Amino acid sequence: MTLGYLVRRLLAVILVLFVVTFAVFAITMILPGNAAVMILGEYGTDEAVAALESRLGLNRPWYIQYLDWIGGILRGDLGQSLRLSLPVADVVGDAFWNSASLAVTALVSVTVIAIPLGVLAAIKRGTVADLIIGMFSYIGASMPEFVTATLLLIFLAGPALGLFPAGGFVSVGESLGGFSSHVVLPAATLGLILTAHISRQVRSEMSEVLSSDYIRAARLKGLRERRVIRRHALPNSLAPAVAVISLDIGYLLGGIIVVEEIFAWPGLGRLLIYALENRDLPVIQAITLVLATVYALSNLLSDIVIAILDPRVRYA
Amino acid sequence: MAGDNSQGGGVDTPVLNVSGYSLSYATPSGPIHALTNIDLRVAHGQTHGLVGESGSGKSSLAWAILRYLPENAIENDGRLLLSGESLRDRTLPQILEIRGRRISMVFQDPSTSLNPAMRLGEQLSEVLIRHRGLTSQEALEESEAALARTGIAKPKDMLRRYPHEASGGEKQRVVIATAFACDPELIVFDEPTTALDIITAQQILELFNQLQDETSISALYISHDLGLVSRVADVVSVISAGEIVESGTCAEVFRTPKDDYTKALLGAVPNPKHWLGVAEPPPETPALMSAKGITVEYGRQSLLGQLLAPKPTHLGAQEVSIEVRKGELVGLVGESGSGKSTMGKVLSGLQDFDGTVRFGDRNFARLTEIDRAYRRAVQIVFQHPDASLNPRQRVREILSRPLKLYGIVPPEQRAERIATLLEQVRLPREFADRLPHQLSGGEKQRVAIARAFAAEPELVICDEITASLDVSVQASVAELLVSLQRQTGTACLFITHDLNLVRQLAHRICVMQNGKLMDAFHRDDAERPDRNPYTRALLKAVPPPASQAA
Repeated sequence: MTLGYLVRRLLAVILVLFVVTFAVFAITMILPGNAAVMILGEYGTDEAVAALESRLGLNRPWYIQYLDWIGGILRGDLGQSLRLSLPVADVVGDAFWNSASLAVTALVSVTVIAIPLGVLAAIKRGTVADLIIGMFSYIGASMPEFVTATLLLIFLAGPALGLFPAGGFVSVGESLGGFSSHVVLPAATLGLILTAHISRQVRSEMSEVLSSDYIRAARLKGLRERRVIRRHALPNSLAPAVAVISLDIGYLLGGIIVVEEIFAWPGLGRLLIYALENRDLPVIQAITLVLATVYALSNLLSDIVIAILDPRVRYA
Repeated sequence: MAGDNSQGGGVDTPVLNVSGYSLSYATPSGPIHALTNIDLRVAHGQTHGLVGESGSGKSSLAWAILRYLPENAIENDGRLLLSGESLRDRTLPQILEIRGRRISMVFQDPSTSLNPAMRLGEQLSEVLIRHRGLTSQEALEESEAALARTGIAKPKDMLRRYPHEASGGEKQRVVIATAFACDPELIVFDEPTTALDIITAQQILELFNQLQDETSISALYISHDLGLVSRVADVVSVISAGEIVESGTCAEVFRTPKDDYTKALLGAVPNPKHWLGVAEPPPETPALMSAKGITVEYGRQSLLGQLLAPKPTHLGAQEVSIEVRKGELVGLVGESGSGKSTMGKVLSGLQDFDGTVRFGDRNFARLTEIDRAYRRAVQIVFQHPDASLNPRQRVREILSRPLKLYGIVPPEQRAERIATLLEQVRLPREFADRLPHQLSGGEKQRVAIARAFAAEPELVICDEITASLDVSVQASVAELLVSLQRQTGTACLFITHDLNLVRQLAHRICVMQNGKLMDAFHRDDAERPDRNPYTRALLKAVPPPASQAA
């Protein structure tokens, strides 16, 4: 991988983000009703709405508003929240770290659980272990988050066991124990589908690799099975799994919106729903932009990891 | 080392002794017999050639010796002895001590048998670490020496490379060095040159003979290619349908074959001295197709692609000119990547090009100018009939397509014409009702040939049409093509890598390398000393079969 390649990829990311800002802005413009109407609610006379619109700058032409916004972003200023009267950067920043702690916990546990499960299923192909892992995967993959979440809440947070709190949030800084007990259920909800998905992917890659000529060659060199699996088979089956994980991050970013709402987790998802209900355009735009940036960068990161795992992949 | 090698038996004990060995595979529809009552011995320092066509069971025998059998394998009777010790009653941990140390293997295709994600050095040195207990540093030094013995110029540099950074020949040298690394008693070579280019294959063969002289290794050399085996083996066994039909020294088997199957196999080996082709058209015959200055550029990118990830383009063909006269058969020869198939695609109207193709009295300067009349007059037969015949269409449908498309015969005569076509390619007319998977490889290729001739073409392009077929089938397909040419007067461009075969068929031969036309000559001039050096190298790499040479 060359530096030139990285620079080009970063430029491509910036181009994508620029297109995203435009799309986001266009959608928020088309949405019926604006912040002024929402803030004033049933007391909004036409004059009051017009006055508030002019104070918030909502009566300017769309391209001025867009350029104003883009100019702000480039200066590092995301504007003021229309509803919360706070800088958008502060509101979104806090929510971002809360979401990130949930998403990273989910993703790390998924990776740590799913890859060994997939490898095990491939090695024990056709046995009871493979069957159980396969069944778990199908069940996991076919349940939407709200069902998983409800089941987890009933069984693990319900009055019978009450192992975990039913919702709420404690930050890592406040109390690691508090964070851990609060994060288990939302992370499990987010992770179940992904675990199922990734373990199946690893299983199929691993099975294919295990039937390849070079694995046969390794076995015919008299190598012990442990080395055949760890050194010969695993690196070759992980690269495609990493590609899937990076695609799953897109799914994770969508899932987080539902899960945060169910578990009252004060992250980007909850904030986005709040902002949408209140037509808080700067907040909606900022969150969408943050999500798009995370997705684009994680894809870039996965390409880099794949290039490290598979020496044939050389980006020039 | 000699002391190690003779463990479990004296010098007279064969390194490998297979006796009365039978093997079958359990399938839902009953057992399939793969090997029946096999007797085979490899003496010390001997190379034993095992020759058979696909499905003959030669690979099954290799897997049985290496104890690498699938779960559904049923071993019936017989013994497998390595230096007098039975292999059959070894446990898996014991077998793992034997594999790589006492028996090793060289595989057919080095591009798939080496791990793409590991450096070559690690793949070579891991057997030394495993079996000789060396540290990784010692193993790497030993690997370097082992690689140097296989004729790699900069072994240290090679050890650091990944497989995709080495050529096919270099990779196979690494595989061979790995097989020799622990000084095993027996090495099984499974078609070690089949996946390589002509000249590379010749070099690997020379390396084998050189290592054989230096180390006096015992080898079981498995191949479908009789001519090749005659150049490496001391003793040959011919295997057919799971049974060894003939066994003896190389000279005996090749000069005085006893078994009918062996005779047929020997007869099918292409020999340039044995002319099969049609009579040459008279010199004044005008050109039917004449391609001038054909250039093909691969990898042209869109504007956005160039911006985001510019890649260099690559010339598939560079200013190539080829001419075929009416009724003539022109051979187009080259190694993989030489551009010979690119030319086949251009001339059959599948690939855009620069330059001009003149056909009859019409000129074509790019792909979009190639019209229906041209496509009818120029037909192509591909290498893999499995891929070129639609698996869901019956033979009848496959053959009726060109008849319908070009309106060759009125609809009511189609059935009759299909029957005639099948008879022309020597298939029973009942085959019209069959699906491709109900046919053998040779039969499928006959259907593909019949489809090309159904359009009543003036030129047929044959792109490696015999390459995926067994030797005996190859010969009959080549002979069929010639008889069709004789009946119809169709001209033919025969693309192949097999020089001996093409010299039996072609009036003129063109040689391509790296997209360029290197040489073009009349068949009588093939062995002239002033031939192009590349042509000479190719000819030298494939000497005519031993029986005639001896």
